[in-house]
Amino acid sequence: MAKYLLLLAALMCASVANADNSKAHAPTVVGADGFKEPLSKLKFNPGLDQREFERSSLTALNVYDPLESWNRRVYHFNYRFDQWVFLPVVDGYRYVTPSFLRTGVSNFFNNLGDVPNLLNSLLQLKGHRSLETTGRLLVNTTLGVAGLWDPATSMGLPRQSEDFGQTLGFYGVPGGAYLVLPILGPSNLRDTGGLLVDYSAESQINFLNVSEVSSNHPEIWALRAVDKRYQTSFRYGQMNSPFEYEKVRYIYTESRKLQIAE
Amino acid sequence: MLRSLRCAALLGSLFLSASALAVDIDQASYGFPLTNPFEATIATTPPDLRPSLPSNDEINQSDYTLNMRPEREFSLPDNFWAVKKLTYRIAKQDHAAPLIFLISGTGARFDSSINEYLKKLYYQAGYHVVQLSSPTSFDFMSAASRFATPGITQEDAEDMYRVMQAVRAQNASLPVTDFYLSGYSLGALDAAFVSKLDETRHSFNFKKVLLLNPPVNLYTSITNLDRLVQTEVKGINNTTTFYELVLNKLTRYFQQKGYIDLNDALLYDFQNSKQHLTNEQMAMLIGTTFRFSAADIAFTSDLINRRGLIIPPKYPITEGTSLTPFLKRALQCDFDCYLTEQVIPMWRARSDGGSLLQLVDQVSLYALKDYLHASPKIAVMHNADDVILGPGDLGFLRQTFGDRLTVYPLGGHCGNLNYRVNADAMLEFFRG
Repeated sequence: MAKYLLLLAALMCASVANADNSKAHAPTVVGADGFKEPLSKLKFNPGLDQREFERSSLTALNVYDPLESWNRRVYHFNYRFDQWVFLPVVDGYRYVTPSFLRTGVSNFFNNLGDVPNLLNSLLQLKGHRSLETTGRLLVNTTLGVAGLWDPATSMGLPRQSEDFGQTLGFYGVPGGAYLVLPILGPSNLRDTGGLLVDYSAESQINFLNVSEVSSNHPEIWALRAVDKRYQTSFRYGQMNSPFEYEKVRYIYTESRKLQIAE
Repeated sequence: MLRSLRCAALLGSLFLSASALAVDIDQASYGFPLTNPFEATIATTPPDLRPSLPSNDEINQSDYTLNMRPEREFSLPDNFWAVKKLTYRIAKQDHAAPLIFLISGTGARFDSSINEYLKKLYYQAGYHVVQLSSPTSFDFMSAASRFATPGITQEDAEDMYRVMQAVRAQNASLPVTDFYLSGYSLGALDAAFVSKLDETRHSFNFKKVLLLNPPVNLYTSITNLDRLVQTEVKGINNTTTFYELVLNKLTRYFQQKGYIDLNDALLYDFQNSKQHLTNEQMAMLIGTTFRFSAADIAFTSDLINRRGLIIPPKYPITEGTSLTPFLKRALQCDFDCYLTEQVIPMWRARSDGGSLLQLVDQVSLYALKDYLHASPKIAVMHNADDVILGPGDLGFLRQTFGDRLTVYPLGGHCGNLNYRVNADAMLEFFRG
């Protein structure tokens, strides 16, 4: 009998120990004035002396950035260029073109970009993604009239960008030093190399003859740059912090890791 | 007998007049899907329950700058060049219309996502809209704030009022019929003080003022926010920091989904996936964003006033100077630290002493109780599960505003502002 009692007691202890001790499922107590006290749903560190925010943030600031002084100057140059040249041009572009034309331009250049996307998906042996991107290229180049329309996305083939920097990362090449490129923005050694490879691959393949034509017609390059800025929602100053450089650096580094892992 | 009847009648009428009850929205008929206050705060309303709004292309808007503090051109370091003038955004109707000022919340710039949303909502309804940065925002502190030590709400409101007057002067040819004012979170507290200021200065004679989720006791609010990073989060250990934990979850979520797709529904979808965050993790995330705001405020205020707490007063700063060591120091300072190290000493020096309690009384809604009680043009919308409130705060609002207070049962902190029901109520208030 005593043995059973002991067993029972042990079981009960164990269940107490295993019980989810968060307060998420505690009933909400509504105060006399209708206040629901949301903080009562949280389990706090009893001493309120946890330094996890500080630990996480200080660790996150460790990004390899030996060229920081140079990078910061380029960052400020880009900020000014963006405010004084790039964005006014984009605004002008937005002003003189109807919306469907801008969408067409974006689709056209995105379709060109699907070529390196496909190459890099293949290089990373991502079969499913390569098939989807091939499908996109076929559908958009034919049905979408050289990519001016994007029927593939509505057919369930979303655009999935892959570049050579990601391919290198996929095979374990580390990012290397953080770099801020003039006009192009945040990057690192690996991704800058990847950018060059993607660029030369594109001019070798000469898809839809665009690379060849644009070597004689720099305005195509200009349009492509304006379209790229038009499609990028990032605005300098948007983070509204004296530490925007650090924040952009961290976000760039982590988002690249995420793109590589995915 | 007759006398007692008379007494009863008197008492009854007294009770009736005092008990203009707040509008409490019933949870069942409200229909807001997120019952978790932290989830609502982070993800806000699911996209298909939001009102339909115009795109930016359809809005006639532009950004202007104001030179409010010309001396800052010389006193601020080079790498602050972008915030030596104050930027604001104005969306103009092509006909005479009422104009509404929108004030952002803690640390947020004029183009914060909530301000952008409110702009679209009011622009669509036919208002000119001016979006303003919060007095706690980095750009406002450097370009428009006289003391660059936000927190004394009265002073912040005076800075804000000057900015509004300058905006009006810069757009003098814009045909405006009436002026309205609104703000969310800390911006709502600022709006209340600005409205009070306008009663004596009469530059705008605001016709209606709407406060969205204001803090009642500012000290309670910052204590709550500081506490959010003290939650016990599962999954953090010696090798995994909190950010890594969240990023790992995000990576796994995208891997399961098969591709990266950043859109409005992302957070909502993420919370419905296997990788969803627990209450403690969400609280930590909200607390983290506020700690970064606190760090920005503490650093900027210290730098502009040359207090030497975070950055040595004569430290040479050029565009190439690394600010990372100062970010590391500023990160250690939460709102409470900023208050005790910077706000209180300055306030004491300028106002012959005074205790923390007096300061809290002066900078919170308490300071305006009589004014708010007697001004039928001011209304409040708040949520019963808002994390910036403490016990008794809703009671204060009920007493002060009576039937001009609407309490929504759900929504967390500002999470239901973009819910269709709330959008209709906000428009209806200004229309009525």
